[in-house]
Amino acid sequence: MNVVVVGAGLAGLTAASDLAAAGVGVTVLEARDRVGGRTHGIEVAPGSWVDAGAAYLGDRHTALNAMLTELGLKKTPTRMTGRSRFALGSGDGTQLGRFPPLNAVALGEMFDLLADLTAVVRVDAPWLTPDAARLDSLTTAEWAEQHLHHPDARLFFPLFLGEMMAADPADVSVLHLAFYLRSGGGTRYLNAFEGGAQQDRVDGGAHQLCEALAARLGERVRLGEPVRAIHQDDDGPIVHSDRGRLRCDAVVVAVPPLLADDIEHRPDVPVRRAGERTARGCAVKVQLVYAEPLWRAHGLSGWSVNANGPLLSTVDDSPATGGAGVLTGFVTGGEARRFSALSADEQRREAAAQAAGLFPQLPPPIGIHVTDWLDADYSRGCYAALHGPGDWVRLGPHLTTPHRRVHWAGTETSTEFFGLMEGAIRSGHRVATEILTSYSSTGRSR
Amino acid sequence: MTVHGVSDIFRRVLETPEIDAESDFFRLGGDSLLATRVLSAVARTYGVELTYYDFVLTPTPVGLATRIAGEAP
Repeated sequence: MNVVVVGAGLAGLTAASDLAAAGVGVTVLEARDRVGGRTHGIEVAPGSWVDAGAAYLGDRHTALNAMLTELGLKKTPTRMTGRSRFALGSGDGTQLGRFPPLNAVALGEMFDLLADLTAVVRVDAPWLTPDAARLDSLTTAEWAEQHLHHPDARLFFPLFLGEMMAADPADVSVLHLAFYLRSGGGTRYLNAFEGGAQQDRVDGGAHQLCEALAARLGERVRLGEPVRAIHQDDDGPIVHSDRGRLRCDAVVVAVPPLLADDIEHRPDVPVRRAGERTARGCAVKVQLVYAEPLWRAHGLSGWSVNANGPLLSTVDDSPATGGAGVLTGFVTGGEARRFSALSADEQRREAAAQAAGLFPQLPPPIGIHVTDWLDADYSRGCYAALHGPGDWVRLGPHLTTPHRRVHWAGTETSTEFFGLMEGAIRSGHRVATEILTSYSSTGRSR
Repeated sequence: MTVHGVSDIFRRVLETPEIDAESDFFRLGGDSLLATRVLSAVARTYGVELTYYDFVLTPTPVGLATRIAGEAP
């Protein structure tokens, strides 16, 4: 059996590795000139790498932890000691921990409401949630308008949504928010560093995962080869790329939904991968590089939360190996759309000016790296696709349903840890099993 | 009375029955996000708005009950 995998991100390479291990012939076609998809490493100093894309993991990310072990990669804990900076209008200050100087009771009421929403959602099939139609018809902006009354909750909600899922409140449905929080292990787990989804990073960068998987697959991974069409006839699928045509027994499309819909299908797919309101995850990552983590000497954690952009939060992402100090700034939601439209010079100027205001103790950064996922043609957003009103009810039932011999993978097809590296890996394992069981009678020949 | 009430709030928010009057919220897996949910429940139940720092300084049912008694309207 021969399978073509479209996309050399975590999902595609996981699927290809599983299939290859089972004796299936695989060819991975990747549009970019690199593997990794929404994981991407930047070398900020000789031998010192930071994650310009997906970065964090926790203990519940069991498939990712297993893959790290298998590939001989190590984890390093996310560092968070010292005082944090908050620039939240009246809630300005420098204080210990991550808790912002806002009204705790008001934030508690907001998290209570979110807990109620996550409790009712059917995480394995959000479209079957009781009252799904109503929850899927409302945006979280409308929900916040109705349910959040305290100014501190209204200030914090969009920042929380930006940090959790790189969304503007108007982009996502209430059903998607509830599903996303539950899928990731609940609000507390998703939000937490120690004991949560940001507990660790991959030592040396998460991009090593895909590089190691691709290295094992060798020449079976082909870069710079975008797939334009998949035609299926009685003899099976034919994948049309910019370099030619490949006939195979099955195809795995392992790219984000907005990108998957650019592929022409004959016969056409009955249901598109993205809905009418599906939006790009709105994240731009800005890495400010210093000679070393200079803020630590001032008793600062590097963590900040800011009502005004571009950097809505910052975190100490310094490589554990030393060699540089790195503050990663997150530009998310509507602010990411504005920032993405600026020139590279303007982006760097705004980021440096904000860092100088937040951390006046620090000298100017010696390097600024801006990774704009919004305009990344072969990702179309990050962390993940944002499902808007109507999307889950319409798309959900078809999430993993094969289109004849075309199968679907990618973190957006995983109802477990949707949008995270863990979801991508689980989707890769799931689709490989799906193929191995569907075509077992085909045998291993060809 | 208040100690029992706060203990119940801890049980609900931490999703564990293992709470007594001296249980330290943060040692039982609580964090700042969950602490705000305790504070909102305290405000609803006792009409007392405590701050996050009140909580951090006395993160036990008996400690919070004492603060509630001190602040009760």
